Amino acid sequence: MIAYFSNLATLVAIFGILAVTLNFMVGFAGIFSVAHAVFFGLGAYAGAQIALTVAPNPFLACAVAALIAGVLSLCLALPALRVRGEYFVAASLGLQMVALTLFSEVKSLTGGIGGLTNIPRPQIFGMEVGVLPLALLALGLLLWAIHAMANGSFGRTLKAIRDAESAAEAMGKPVAVAKALAVAFACAGAGVAGALFALHMSFVNVESFTLDQSVLVMAMVIVGGTGTLFGPLVGAVLLLSLPSALSFLTFIPPTEVGSVQQIIYGLAMTLLMVFRPAGLLGDQNKGKSHA
Amino acid sequence: MSAPLTCEGLARSFGGVKAVQGVSLALPAGAVTALVGPNGAGKTTVFNLITGNLKADEGTAQIRGRPIIGLKPWQVARLGVARSFQDLRLFTQMNVRDNVLAATERGAWFWQGGDKRARLAAAEAAMEATGLTALAEARAVDLAYAERKFLSMARILAAGADIWLLDEPASGLDLSSRLRFGQLLKDARARGVAICLIEHNLDVVVDLADRIAFLDRGLVLAEGAPKEIMNDPKLAAIYFGDRSHEVAA
Repeated sequence: MIAYFSNLATLVAIFGILAVTLNFMVGFAGIFSVAHAVFFGLGAYAGAQIALTVAPNPFLACAVAALIAGVLSLCLALPALRVRGEYFVAASLGLQMVALTLFSEVKSLTGGIGGLTNIPRPQIFGMEVGVLPLALLALGLLLWAIHAMANGSFGRTLKAIRDAESAAEAMGKPVAVAKALAVAFACAGAGVAGALFALHMSFVNVESFTLDQSVLVMAMVIVGGTGTLFGPLVGAVLLLSLPSALSFLTFIPPTEVGSVQQIIYGLAMTLLMVFRPAGLLGDQNKGKSHA
Repeated sequence: MSAPLTCEGLARSFGGVKAVQGVSLALPAGAVTALVGPNGAGKTTVFNLITGNLKADEGTAQIRGRPIIGLKPWQVARLGVARSFQDLRLFTQMNVRDNVLAATERGAWFWQGGDKRARLAAAEAAMEATGLTALAEARAVDLAYAERKFLSMARILAAGADIWLLDEPASGLDLSSRLRFGQLLKDARARGVAICLIEHNLDVVVDLADRIAFLDRGLVLAEGAPKEIMNDPKLAAIYFGDRSHEVAA
C-alpha cells in the first residue's frame, strides 16, 4: 500500500510540475498551448538517454532534459509570436501531431512505438535514490521561481502582454523576447518533469506524450485556476487521485472504472464552469468589471 | 523651438483607400500640436505610422534626427515616445500600481536593470499626479471611466518619455476631469514635452493646442494657430460633415 501511495505521490508531483509550468504560459502570458506533452516527452527521452548511455544521475538527466526542451521550445514560441488565441491553439495542436509522429519514427533516439526500456533507477554518488523527493524538490523550486517572477517585473510584463499586447509594446517592451522566455521556461520545466517521469517509470514510450496528456494537463490548470500559484497543483492532485479513488469503490466493476471516470470528469468540469468558472483557487471576479 | 519628432511625406493605403497621403509634421518640444479632422481623416493612422504599428508605404520620420520608419513599436518607444490609445488598452486584470509600474519597466528579461527605487518613485508620482494613489490596489477593470482615462495618462507620465502621442485622451470626460487633464498637459508642456493630441472636443483643442494640423481623407489641409484654423469656414464645414462646397467646386 505504501508503494502504491508513493507511486501516486510521485506522479502527482511530476504532473504538478507539468501543470504549474503550463500555467505559467497560460495564466501569466496568455499563451494557450495544447502541446505541453511534447516537451514532457522530449525531456523524458533526453533523461532516459542520459541515464541509459551516460550515467543515471538525476541532476544531469534533468539539466539536459531542461536544456533540450527549453531550446526546442522555440518551435512553439515562433508561432506564439505571430498568432494569438484560437489560432495559436491550432498551431500548437499541429506541433503536437508532428512531434508525436517524430517520437514514433525516430527509433534511434526514442525506441519508436516500443519506447525505451530498462532505464536505470536514479543514483547520486552511487546510491540509489527515490524519484519522489527529487520531484518534490523540483516542484518546490519551480513554485518558488514562478512566485518570484509573477510578483516581479517579468510577471508584470507577461501579464501586460496577456491583457494588451500592443500597449505593452508601446511601453518599450520587446514582446517577442518576453514570450519566447516564458515559453522556454515553461517547456524547460516540462522537460524536467519528463526526465523524472522516465527515471520513475524505468520505461517511456510515445503513449505518454499524446494530445490526451496535453489536454489532461490543461484540465489540471483550468480546474485549479489559471494564473494562480497553487491552483494547478490542486488540479493535478484532484485529476490524478480520482481514478485511484474510484478503484477503491468496490461496487464499480473494474471494467467500468474508465467509463465512470469519464462521466465524473465531464460532470465535474461542467459544474466547475458553472459555479467556479475561474477554477477552484482562481479569482472569481477575474474578467468581470465592477465599475 | 526644436522639434524632436518630424515626419515628411508619410503615406499609407489600405487596398484602394488612401488613409494617409503625404503627411508632414513637426512636433516641437514644449508645445501641443493637435491633429483635428472628421472621423476617418487618418489621424490615428498617422500615429500608427510614427510608432511602427503600421509600415509606411512612403515617407520618412525621425526622432532627434534618427530615422524611425521600419523600427518596431518597442524600439520607437525606447527613443522616448509614449502613446495612448482611443480604446485605452489598459492591463485590465492588473491593479493600478502594476499598470503604472509596467510603464517604467522596459526590459523583457527575467529582471530589470537600473534603479528600482527610481521606477517605484516615478510610478507613485504618476499616480499622485493623476489622483489614483487611493486606487493603487484596484484592478483596472474595476475603475470608473474617468479613472481609466487617468490611468492611461498615469502610464504616459510614468514612462518618462519626452514625446507624447495622445489619441482622444479627453473624450467622455466631464468638465472637472477635463480641467485636471488639461493641467497635466500644461505641466508637461512646461517641462518641454512635445505633445501631439488627437481630439474631437474643440474646447479642449482651443484651450491646449499651440498649433493645429487639420486632416481630411489622409491629407493635411491646413496647419496653423488654433484661431486661424477654427475660423476657417471651409474647414469647419468639412469637420461637421458638410461637403457641399466640394460638389459646388
